[in-house]
Amino acid sequence: MSRKLVIDPVTRIEGHGKVTIQLDDDNQVTDAKLHVVEFRGFEKLVQGHPYWEAPMLLQRICGICFVSHHLCGAKALDDMIGVGLGQHIRLLPGPEKIRRLGHYAQQLQSHVTAYFYLVVPEMLFGMDAPPEQRNVLGLVEQDPALVKRVVALRKWGQELIKTVLGKRMHGISSVPGGVSKNISIEERDRFLQGEEGLLSIDEVIEYAQEGLELFYQFHEQHREQVDQFAVVPALDMCLVNDEGNVDYYHGRIRIIDEHKHIVQEFDYHDYLQHFSEATEAWSYMKFPYLKALGREKGSVRVGPLARLNVTKTLSTPLAEAALKKFHAYTNGRSNNMTLHTNWARAIEIIHSAELIKALLNDTDLQNTELLMIPADTAWTGEGIGVVEAPRGTLLHHYRAAKTGDITFANLIVSTTQNNQVINRTVQSVAQDYISGKAEITEGMLNAIEVGIRAYDPCLSCATHALGQMPLKISVFDARGNIIDELCR
Amino acid sequence: MNCVAEVNRLSLTDFNSADCLIYGIGNVGRQDDGLGWAFIDWIEAQGLCSKAETVRNYQLFLEDADLISRKKRVLFVDATKDMTVEHFALYQEQAKLDFSFTSHAISIAAIMATCQLCFDRQPDVYVLAIRGYEWALQEGLTEHAQVNLDQAVLHFSKSD
Repeated sequence: MSRKLVIDPVTRIEGHGKVTIQLDDDNQVTDAKLHVVEFRGFEKLVQGHPYWEAPMLLQRICGICFVSHHLCGAKALDDMIGVGLGQHIRLLPGPEKIRRLGHYAQQLQSHVTAYFYLVVPEMLFGMDAPPEQRNVLGLVEQDPALVKRVVALRKWGQELIKTVLGKRMHGISSVPGGVSKNISIEERDRFLQGEEGLLSIDEVIEYAQEGLELFYQFHEQHREQVDQFAVVPALDMCLVNDEGNVDYYHGRIRIIDEHKHIVQEFDYHDYLQHFSEATEAWSYMKFPYLKALGREKGSVRVGPLARLNVTKTLSTPLAEAALKKFHAYTNGRSNNMTLHTNWARAIEIIHSAELIKALLNDTDLQNTELLMIPADTAWTGEGIGVVEAPRGTLLHHYRAAKTGDITFANLIVSTTQNNQVINRTVQSVAQDYISGKAEITEGMLNAIEVGIRAYDPCLSCATHALGQMPLKISVFDARGNIIDELCR
Repeated sequence: MNCVAEVNRLSLTDFNSADCLIYGIGNVGRQDDGLGWAFIDWIEAQGLCSKAETVRNYQLFLEDADLISRKKRVLFVDATKDMTVEHFALYQEQAKLDFSFTSHAISIAAIMATCQLCFDRQPDVYVLAIRGYEWALQEGLTEHAQVNLDQAVLHFSKSD
C-alpha cells in the first residue's frame, strides 16, 4: 500500500513548517515537500506607519536576526531620504563602521546559536540518537565545559549587539543617514580586553577556532555521511565587493554556477528587473527565481555555503586559511554538499570575530560625526536595502508618500531565496534515507530535519509571521491517507 | 526555605541585595503575557528591591545559566496558563535537565541544571507564576489577569 509521511513540526528551526513525503506501493518516495504554514503579514502591517518606523517595526519579525532586518531597513531609509547607496552616496566612515560592527556581532551570535546549539549535538550524538539526547541540553550533560564556552561566546555577541544597537534585542541605533551613537573607548575596551564574566576578543577568536576544529574532527570520522548527505547542485548568490569577494553589508549581487562562472551580476536596486516570485498552493513561502532563467532553473542558494562558494578570498587571516582548505576540498568548483554548510558557518564564525577585532581597533568608531543631513530636495520616497544576513541575502524595499507614510513594503528574506533548494534537499534526503525502506524510523525522519536545519531556515522571517511556531513531518499513502506522523 | 509555608513567608526584602535577581519573562505586546514585566514595573515604581538586579526578557536563554550563576537568590516572574492556579503560585524551583530546549523556549529547571553542570553553582530559585488568560497581539492585561497581579502585589505588600 502506498503511504505518505508527515513531519510536523520540524524542530530546531525558526518557524512553523511541515514536511510531507509521498510513498508508492513499493515504499519508493514519489514526492517530498516542505510546507510553510504560517501567515505572511508584516508587509501589510507596516503600511500607513511613518517611514522612520520601518526598521524598528520590521525587525520584530524575528528574535534571532533582528539586526539584519534593522540594518537592511536603515539602508532603505538612507535611499529614501536621499543620502543612500541608491544615489551612490556612502555613509560617513564612522557610522558605516558602527553599523558593520553590529552586523558582524549578530552574525557571530546567530551562527554560534545555529552551529553549537542546533547542529553540534547532532554531530556529537548522531542523527539516530534519541531526540532527548541530540540537543543542547544533551550536550550540557555530556560536555558542560564546551557548553560553558558556547554560552560565553553567545553572551559576548549579545553584549556587543547591546552596546552597538542600544538593546539586547530589537535595537534602535540605526537612523536614516547614520547612527544615533558612537562607541566610546571604555565600551571598546570591554570587548577588546574582556572583563569579569566577559571574554576578550582574543578568547572569542580562540573559541571560534575550536568550533571549526569540532567540524574537522566530525568530518574526519564521518566523511562519507557528511559528503554524501543531500548533494544538491544550485546557483549560489551573495553580495560582493569590487574584488568579487563577499561583503556582508554592501555590494553588488553576484550569482555563480557550479563551475563558478558568473551567471548574473547586478546592482541590488535593480532586483525587480531580475527576480520574480512564484507561489504554490501548498506553502505560504514564495519561490523567488531569476527571470532570465525561468522558474525551473532560476532559483538560487544563499547563506554560508553560497557565500563561501562565491567569494574568492576572505579578508582576515584565520578565516582565509580555513577558506583555502574549504575551496581545495572541491578542487575549485562549487561545494554542493549540504552538510558542508556547517563547515562554512564555522568558518564565518571565525571571520566575524576577526572582522570585529579589526573594527574595534579602528578609531573611526569614536567619531562624533554620525549623521548625513540631506537637502530638503533630496527626498526620493523610495528605498531598497540589501545585506548578507546570517542565513543569506536579505532585501527590504519601501515606498512612502510625501507625507512620509509607508505605502508599500516588500521583503525577500534569505530563507525565501532558499525555498527551492531546501525542497530539493528534502527530496534528496527522502530518496536516500526513506525510499524503499519497509519501516520508517524516527532517525530517518530526523535526517529530513537535519537537511532542513543545515540552512538554519527562519520561517517566521520568510512568511513575516507572528505567534508560536512549531513545525511537523507526515507520511501519506497513494490514496491520501496519513499513515505515519511525527509531531514535536 | 523549602516547605510551602516557608516559601509563602518569602518577602521582597529577601531579594533586596546585589546578589539577588528578579527576572520578568513575557511580552507586553501579547496581553497577559505581560504579567511578568508588570510585576517588575510595580517593584520599580514602589522603589522596592533597589539593590537587586532586575531583568525583563521575552524568553529565557541558555546564557541565563551564566547570569544566575552569579546570584545567590533569584525570583523568576512569569504568566501561567495553568488552570489550577487561581490567582498566582509561588514556589521554589528545582534543577532538572528536562530537555525542554527549542530556539524559542527553555524551562527554568533546565536553566538551573545548566547552571549547576556548567558553572558549578546553584542559587536559590523561586518562581512567581501569575495566572493569565489571553495572549493575542494587544497591549494591556485582561481584567482578570490584572486582578491576579493585584493579588500577587497584595501578597508581597503584606509580607513586607
